[in-house]
Amino acid sequence: MVFLNCLGLIFWLLVLPFGIGLLPAALLPSKDRTPGVIFLAGYFGVFALLELVGIPIVLTTVYHGFSYLTYVYMSVCLLAAAAGVLLFLQKKKKGLWRLEAGICLKRLSMEEKIGYLLFFLVLGFQLYMAFTRASFDGDDAYYGVQSVIAQQIDMLYRFNPYTGDSMPLDARHALALIPAWEAFVGRMSGVHATIISHSVMPLVLLPLTYLLYFQIGKKLLADKKEMLPMFMILISLFQMFGNVSIYTAETFLLTRTWQGKSVAANLVLPAVIWIFLMLFDEAKQEQETDINGNDGSSAASGYFVLLACVITAAGVSSSLAVLLAVILSAGLAVLFAIKNRSFGILVKTGLSCIPGAVYMLVYLLVS
Amino acid sequence: MESFVILKLYTGLKPLFLLFAAAWLYLLFTEKNKTRRLLFVTAPILIIALFLFPLSRKYFVALLDGTIYYRVLWTIPYGVIVVYAACRLFEKHRRIGLLVMTALIVLCGSLVYKSPYISKAENAYHIPETAVKICELIGPEEDGDFVKVVVPEELVYFIRQYDARIRMPYGRDMIESQWGYYHEVHQIMENADGIELEKLLEVLRPQYCRYIVLSPAKKVIGDPEKLGLICLAEIDGYRIYSDPVTEKALAELEEAYY
Repeated sequence: MVFLNCLGLIFWLLVLPFGIGLLPAALLPSKDRTPGVIFLAGYFGVFALLELVGIPIVLTTVYHGFSYLTYVYMSVCLLAAAAGVLLFLQKKKKGLWRLEAGICLKRLSMEEKIGYLLFFLVLGFQLYMAFTRASFDGDDAYYGVQSVIAQQIDMLYRFNPYTGDSMPLDARHALALIPAWEAFVGRMSGVHATIISHSVMPLVLLPLTYLLYFQIGKKLLADKKEMLPMFMILISLFQMFGNVSIYTAETFLLTRTWQGKSVAANLVLPAVIWIFLMLFDEAKQEQETDINGNDGSSAASGYFVLLACVITAAGVSSSLAVLLAVILSAGLAVLFAIKNRSFGILVKTGLSCIPGAVYMLVYLLVS
Repeated sequence: MESFVILKLYTGLKPLFLLFAAAWLYLLFTEKNKTRRLLFVTAPILIIALFLFPLSRKYFVALLDGTIYYRVLWTIPYGVIVVYAACRLFEKHRRIGLLVMTALIVLCGSLVYKSPYISKAENAYHIPETAVKICELIGPEEDGDFVKVVVPEELVYFIRQYDARIRMPYGRDMIESQWGYYHEVHQIMENADGIELEKLLEVLRPQYCRYIVLSPAKKVIGDPEKLGLICLAEIDGYRIYSDPVTEKALAELEEAYY
């Protein structure tokens, strides 16, 4: 039974996001289509699809809302992953897509190998602590219980999680669907939602966060790749010692990993910065021609699609995550538009922010 | 002024923030790449300036919740700025740089695992085993059924994380002192002089609360057995009682409905 549970978790948490990630990755410049980027894009896809499918169901369905969500979301995810794999195979057959390697072990020096080993030791320690240590947080009595309600009572945001009394739709939280996602993963793998939140989620979300930092570091140290292990070791230590108050993103990452707030602080907002870094860090990128024959600017435009995906995905965390992601994107777009003297950046970023605007509109209408 | 206080609380007044400031200054004077300057020098200072600007908080509070204003600071990638600056500074002395920065981060920061909120997990749910055992004892046998239980404060957070079909007269919202809510049952359960059982039953019975969990640390005024309660079990010192009067009332109610 445990073996089947684990297989289910591997499929829904690792295989499926990778398949879904092949779709947005197809729009990225070919050199950026590494397994790491595909996996990251896949998770933003998983969350974005959850918002697109889940919000209408939450708002319109009272009874058996979670079952409806499960059937529809499962179908959409499987279709998206299948489409991603088919697209990849089709393009690969035509020689238009090769999977870029993230890191080639053979090309690493001994010092780099030791550096990465140290980083993985720190990460391993963090995962061990996340699995064997319970981190008490009062908010779990709200968000954690919402997942359990979904799994056991089959309703979404229609019960007061603190007492179990029925109540009208909790509009303030109903659009942030990460508890529903954790319940979904639990149902698909046959695991209790609280185990998913507290024991399984850190094992996925912590490496995912470091994968994002790895992409940022890779870009920043593109000219000094041998510094990348040092970057990763220090960033992992910074997370571990960043508990200077209960408010920092670092504290949220290691004590409330499974909550939407942590996803907002440690995945969504850094992803916005990563995307802008990928878009504007190298002037020469604009002139590059990718493997599909697209010029650099259209291939780079794939990152604006990914930005739209990230902003949609931000909704799983909270309305504030959407607002902050939109404001950060808009602010950075203004700065880069001034720097590059390009109005197009504002237009493209504006289009990427449309899902965020729709989300806020829905939020204002229902709350 | 309030924004300054929030910033101060956010940094914890720990030297890690000084490390960030030093890294930011280093990038301000040395970073040549314009994109990185915008992302790691210009944007953070603009965000902090906007954060401290009095009108920003006013608008934020009008739109959202003032207690979460600190989250605006999440838009600054502190870790990336510190570590990137360190990588640039120690480009030619990687090993020394790694040692120096490790020491600085460890000394200037605070280890998350030292938090008083982190303890050894008792099970995969990461909730106290006592709560699991109590839920196993009183949880409804069939899907679609519900039961109600009143538990001491320390268990309130966990019962429904295990079984959402177990309802409670009051939850976490009544416990958190900063919210300042009042609940009659909570008041009786947490009375410093002890739990007056007769009074408790008086307010619990109209709510169809079938089970009562009494803490070993709390004085109980009144004899549970004499008041008609049945002790189902004692789990880790907690005594779990069922109330036959409520059970009968629930059975009658069920009969009337079905």
